Amino acid sequence: MSSGTSYRYQDRDTVVHRLNPFAKLAWVAAVMLLAVIFDHPLYLIMLFLSTLPVIALARAWREWASLMRFMLWMSLAIVLINALVIYQGSHVLLEFTFEIPTLGQPKITLEAIAFGLGMALRLVTIVSAFVALNFTVHPDDMMQAMLKLRLPYKSVLATSMSLRFFPALVDDRERISDVQRTRGMELDRGGLLQRARNGGAVLVPLLSNSLDRAVQIAEAMEARAFGAYKRRTAFSEITLSGWDRLLAVAGLLPLPVGIYLRCLGYGKYRYYPSLQRLDPGMAGWLALAVLAALLLAILPLAWFRKRWQLD
Amino acid sequence: MGRKYYFIILIILLGLGIYIAPFISLKGSILDPNTGFLSWGLITTAFVCLSVLGFYLEFERAATGAKEIALVAMLGTISALSRLPFASLMNFQPCTFFIICAGYVFGPMAGFMTASLTALVSNMFLGQGPWTAYQIFTWGLVGITAGWLRGLRLTGRREIIVLAVFGFIWGWLYGVIINLWFWAFFVQPLTWVTYLLTLLNAVIWDGSHAVANVLFVSVFGSRVIRTLERFQKRFYWKNAGMITGAAATVRSIGSG
Repeated sequence: MSSGTSYRYQDRDTVVHRLNPFAKLAWVAAVMLLAVIFDHPLYLIMLFLSTLPVIALARAWREWASLMRFMLWMSLAIVLINALVIYQGSHVLLEFTFEIPTLGQPKITLEAIAFGLGMALRLVTIVSAFVALNFTVHPDDMMQAMLKLRLPYKSVLATSMSLRFFPALVDDRERISDVQRTRGMELDRGGLLQRARNGGAVLVPLLSNSLDRAVQIAEAMEARAFGAYKRRTAFSEITLSGWDRLLAVAGLLPLPVGIYLRCLGYGKYRYYPSLQRLDPGMAGWLALAVLAALLLAILPLAWFRKRWQLD
Repeated sequence: MGRKYYFIILIILLGLGIYIAPFISLKGSILDPNTGFLSWGLITTAFVCLSVLGFYLEFERAATGAKEIALVAMLGTISALSRLPFASLMNFQPCTFFIICAGYVFGPMAGFMTASLTALVSNMFLGQGPWTAYQIFTWGLVGITAGWLRGLRLTGRREIIVLAVFGFIWGWLYGVIINLWFWAFFVQPLTWVTYLLTLLNAVIWDGSHAVANVLFVSVFGSRVIRTLERFQKRFYWKNAGMITGAAATVRSIGSG
C-alpha cells in the first residue's frame, strides 16, 4: 500500500497507548477547547508545549511531524490573510498608496501579523492534541468508546465495519491490480488519461467485489440474528475501572478550571490597536502554572497506573 | 413528501442559517462574532456536529437491517481507500464522485453515510481534526443532494452530463462550506471581505476539486453507476436472497 498506511495506529506498549480511551478523549477535548477559549500567546504556547510530552511518551513523532508539515502551510495562510485584511493596529510596517473600495488604503501592521501568528499557534495546538488521540487509540476501542457515549449504534457499527474491512479491500485492490497486469495492462505507464482509464479497470472490479462482500456480510449478520433483540451483546468491551474513571476526570479537569480562570479575566490578550504586554503579571503566571500542572498531571497518574497494574 | 424529507430540509436550513448569521449585523449582542464573548468557531462547530448527529439519527431510522449497514460500510471503505493515493494532489480526488454515485443510486441516506465514512476512515490515515466534522457535513450534503437527482429519471448521456455539472458545482460549493471552519476559528474580523479572501486562498484546491469531479464522472460515471444499480437490484431481491444467503453462510462457516 502507498505511503498512507504508515500513519495508521500502531500498537506500542507505552503509557499513553495503555491509557483508557475515555481519559484520552477527555484530555484532548480539554486541550482543544482551552486553545479556543484563551487568546493569550503564552497560554497557547503552554497548551502546545503540554501536548509534546504526550507525543514523546507515545513515540508518535513521525506521525506528528508529517501533519505539522502540512499545518505549517496552513499557518502561513492564516498569517497572510490576517496581515492582508486587517488594517487596524498602530505599528504600520508597510503602507500601499492605492485604495481598495470599502476597505480603504491597505497597510500591513505588526499587530495583524502578531494576531495571525497567535491564531496559527492555536491551530498547531489543536492538531497536536489530535495526534495524541488519533495515533494512540485503537480504532476498535474508539468505536467502543463512541458506543458507550451513546452515539447512534448503526452508524458506529458501519464505521467500525468500514475500518475492519479497510485492510481487506487494500489486499483486494492489490490482487486485482496483479490480475490486470498479468492480462497485459500496464497500470503504471501512459499519460494521465490512460492512467485514469487503467484505474477504472481496477476500480470497477474492486467495486463489484466489495459489494459482493457486503451481501455476504449482511447475510452473515442476519444468520447471527442481527437486530433480533434490543439488547445486544459485544465480543469485547472496554472496561472502565475506578482508576480509569479517575484518569478521565483528571483529563477533563483542566477545562472547568480554565473556563473559571478565563471568566476571572486570565488568558485574555489584546492585539489591537497596539499589542498588550506579554507579561501576564504575577497572578497570571500563577494561573498559567496551575493550568500547566493540571494538564500534565495525567501523565504521572497514567504511569503510576501502568507501573502498578492498578485496576 | 415524508417526514424524512422535512427532517433533511430542516437540517439544511439550520446549516444555511449558521452560515448566513455572521453576515447579519449582530453588533452589541453577545453573538457579535467579532467582539462577543463566544467564539464563533466553536458555535459553528457545535451546530455542524449537531446537524451531523441528526443525520446519523436519521440513518438509524432509515437503515432497517444488516443489508443497509453492510452496503454503506463497503461503499464508504472504497471511497476512503480511493482518497489516499490522491492525498497530496490538492483535493484532486475521486471521493466526491463516489459519494455522488452512491447517493444517486442508493438514495440520500446511503449517500450521507458513504460521505461520513469517507471522512472518518480516510482521516484515520490522513489525520483527524476539527475539520472532520465539517467534511462529514459537506460531503454528506453532496451525498444527500445527489440522492435527490434520482427523481429526475435521467438516462444515457443526459445522466452523465447532469451528474458532471452537479459535480462541478459541488466542487466549488464544497470549498465555500468547508472553509468556514478555517475562517471562523482563525481569521478576524469576520466579514465578507475576510471570508472571500479565505476562499481565494483555497481557489486552486476548489478548482481542482471541481475539475476532478467532472473528469471522474465523465470517465467512470456510467460504469460505476451501472455496477451499483446491478447490486441494488440484487440487494433488494426478495426471497431468493435468503437461499443464497444460507449458502454463503454455510460456505463462510466451512472455510472459516
